[in-house]
Amino acid sequence: MSIFNQRKDVEEIEAVTDQRNLVTTKPSSQWKLTLRRFRGRKSGMIGLTIVTLLILMAVFAPILAPYEPNEVLIGKEDVGPRDPPCVHAFGCSEETPQHVMGTDGNVRDEFSRIIYGARVSLTLGFFTVTIALLVGSAFGAIAGFTGGWIDNVIMRVMDVVLGFPSLLLAIAIVAVLGPGLRNALIAIAIVTMPGYARVMRAQVLSIKESDYVAASEALGASSTQLLVRRVIPNALTPLVVLATLGVATAILEAAGLSFLGLGAQPPLAEWGSMLASERNQLFTSPFLVFFPGIAIMITVLGFNLMGDGLRDALDPTLNR
Amino acid sequence: MKRFSKLIVLVFVMALIAAACGSSSDDTTTTAAGGATETTVATETTVAAETTTTATVAPDPGFEGYVLDAGGCDYGGRVEKITAVDEFTVEFDLCGPHPAFLQQIAFGVFGIQSEESLEATGGAPLDSPVGTGPYTLQEWVRGDSVIYARNDDYYGTVAPHATAVLKWSTESAGRLLELQSGNADGMTFPGPEDYATIVNDDTLTLLNKPEPNIFYMGFTDTFAPWDNVDVRNAVALAIDRQRLVDTFYPPGSETASHFTPCSVENGCEGESWYDFDVEAAKALLAEAGFADGFDTKIYYRDVTRGYLPTPGNVAADIQAQLKANLNINAEVVVMESGEFIQASSAGELDGIHLLGWTGDYPHVTNFLDFHFAETNMQFGTPHPEIYEPLLAASQMASATEAAPLYEEANNAIKALVPMVPIAHAGSAFGATATVTGAYAPPWGQVMFNAWDNGTDTLVFMQGNEPISLYCADETDGESLRACAQVVEALYSYTPTGDIQPQLATECVPNEDLSLWTCALRQGVTFHDGTTFDANDVVVSYTAGLDATSPLHTGNSGVFEYYDYLWNGLINAEG
Repeated sequence: MSIFNQRKDVEEIEAVTDQRNLVTTKPSSQWKLTLRRFRGRKSGMIGLTIVTLLILMAVFAPILAPYEPNEVLIGKEDVGPRDPPCVHAFGCSEETPQHVMGTDGNVRDEFSRIIYGARVSLTLGFFTVTIALLVGSAFGAIAGFTGGWIDNVIMRVMDVVLGFPSLLLAIAIVAVLGPGLRNALIAIAIVTMPGYARVMRAQVLSIKESDYVAASEALGASSTQLLVRRVIPNALTPLVVLATLGVATAILEAAGLSFLGLGAQPPLAEWGSMLASERNQLFTSPFLVFFPGIAIMITVLGFNLMGDGLRDALDPTLNR
Repeated sequence: MKRFSKLIVLVFVMALIAAACGSSSDDTTTTAAGGATETTVATETTVAAETTTTATVAPDPGFEGYVLDAGGCDYGGRVEKITAVDEFTVEFDLCGPHPAFLQQIAFGVFGIQSEESLEATGGAPLDSPVGTGPYTLQEWVRGDSVIYARNDDYYGTVAPHATAVLKWSTESAGRLLELQSGNADGMTFPGPEDYATIVNDDTLTLLNKPEPNIFYMGFTDTFAPWDNVDVRNAVALAIDRQRLVDTFYPPGSETASHFTPCSVENGCEGESWYDFDVEAAKALLAEAGFADGFDTKIYYRDVTRGYLPTPGNVAADIQAQLKANLNINAEVVVMESGEFIQASSAGELDGIHLLGWTGDYPHVTNFLDFHFAETNMQFGTPHPEIYEPLLAASQMASATEAAPLYEEANNAIKALVPMVPIAHAGSAFGATATVTGAYAPPWGQVMFNAWDNGTDTLVFMQGNEPISLYCADETDGESLRACAQVVEALYSYTPTGDIQPQLATECVPNEDLSLWTCALRQGVTFHDGTTFDANDVVVSYTAGLDATSPLHTGNSGVFEYYDYLWNGLINAEG
């Protein structure tokens, strides 16, 4: 074939391609579609905004907080335990030290502790979910992909864990391991793990029957390659949603454990333990119960809204 | 006119019949009391601050008195023999002088129950106490309340209300809410933050309770670095105790100068405690080889007591002070109450433990002897410099003669620092302003029959549900308060904290205070209708003291206060 003919062939191919471009558009990527759908959901965007602000608050806590979270102000300022909020802009006397959320029972600035508390709660939420997600989905994937007795053993163990009320099981685990934030994290990760395992297993069971998996298998891919390269990446979508919602649950459960004295230990600024230490002052100093409670509520709400938005965005059947 | 005359005659005749009935009633009582042939003499006596008429009858010659015999004093306890000499006389033969005998037997744990009821329940009348008090137990609604019915035949002040209800809420805020809403007439221990609320509320009254107590931070010197007296001393100097009292304690509290409150005789003999001095503390710690501080733990139980109204806050502040003043990193460890008491008592806690003590009876031995005795391992190895003068002082009848020994012991405590005394806490009760006769006693339990709210039902709130209503085998104040309404002891405490005869009319010692003879009140009946006599006293004490008695059952079977306050149980194993 001459060079001329070759060029002609190329020109023909390009012409055909151009012709096709006239009638079709280049498809957007899955993630771009998801992002577009997510942006269209107001509640999801509100959730994302809240979570972003919380992350910024946690990262820049030393700049935002007027005091060290554990700094006892006795003898340093003219304040006492459980002094009510004082905001100069709202008419509080200039002579009174400004504490926008008041002081706690140990004469520490409540606002600073709330800000630093975001660090503890977010860290705990993210780490817990990461551990539960990695371990749980690994178990789920192995169970679903291999089937047989391995599937049975893994899933029955998960069923046993699921059979207990999650907070009670977490309390039991912490009772064995001993109180503390790290052990609370491990306990919550263990009790939330079965959820990820079940979802991952269901996804794997469906995906492993797909044509593209069969094609890869026919081309000689090993079981590990199939699982890691074909099955798991395509099963992640519902897990992302579950994980986002799981952060909210983990933060709530950690606050619950701390409230019971099994999670964060003094003097660590953690919202659950702050709530617990002042629960007896509900009527005399309601702000000390209100602010940590609101902080927990807003954080959980933020992650829930974001999770709902992500679920809607990732679910093609809910596409408008 | 004729009708009027008949009416006068009728009234006169009825008056005669009424008078005759009254005298025959006295005669009946006498006969029933023993069929004695001696002439009965009725006398007017003043009883327990109330005027009442009591018949004094001659003892029954056929009465067979019981004896609790320890068979000597080798077992180490205080009681050698308790004898029912006659129907209304009991003799306590002790192994040595006991200057605080009367204060001790006034403690509610040593309440007298009817012999019949103890036998009927196998020594465990846990929810069916039968005493002689101003109330009978009507119902214990588990998890909700204890309901008492007025004892109309009570020999003392009969309750002005037909029913008294004891309820509970662990949170002081919850108790205050019940008081504010009018659902309760009285409450125990408002939180320090609630004092101002009660004082500023015209419908409520704050009743100060000058309860002698001590809150301290203890060290067990069998664990490093607490085995070094300089370390303990450094911590003693580095804790700003005044700051703790000013910040976390209610009005009326004071920084402790000694372990025992000064309101207790001989409590404050010897030097006052160290002043707050951070520089001296740092120097001492450096000398001990811990210039950069060390890691330790602060153990406590999250249970509110009069001596520690805000345990979490106090623990956190001590933690902050140790870090700021000595760079000691202390991890706060909250323990379950029973586990904490057990571990701290056995000297098993390797850090600092926060504990306190509320006096059981107004005597210095109740504070010092228990904590610093030769047998107490709470602070590690007991120090002879402390327990030897204490032992000698406890044998002395004269408080003045014992004073130099208490001075010696207190100075040794200061030098050896087994603990740091922090505070003698003020405490209070709350009541609605409409209640008359409301009070909060420094010793003993509040008696509801003195409270009058003008209605037929009085409601009182306390912190917890009683564990059982057989208080011979209980130690917590919530149970003791519930028991006291039904069961009485030989002596009791007045609202101002003085002792007064209760079921005894008098207890007289011999010269060296080792033999106490108690004359008992006559004409008293238990709620089950049986008559109170000396055998009831011996049986009640036997049930608590004699470990081999079939009635030594109780709730846990430990009978801790009998064991501790009488220096050991009779026939105890080991």
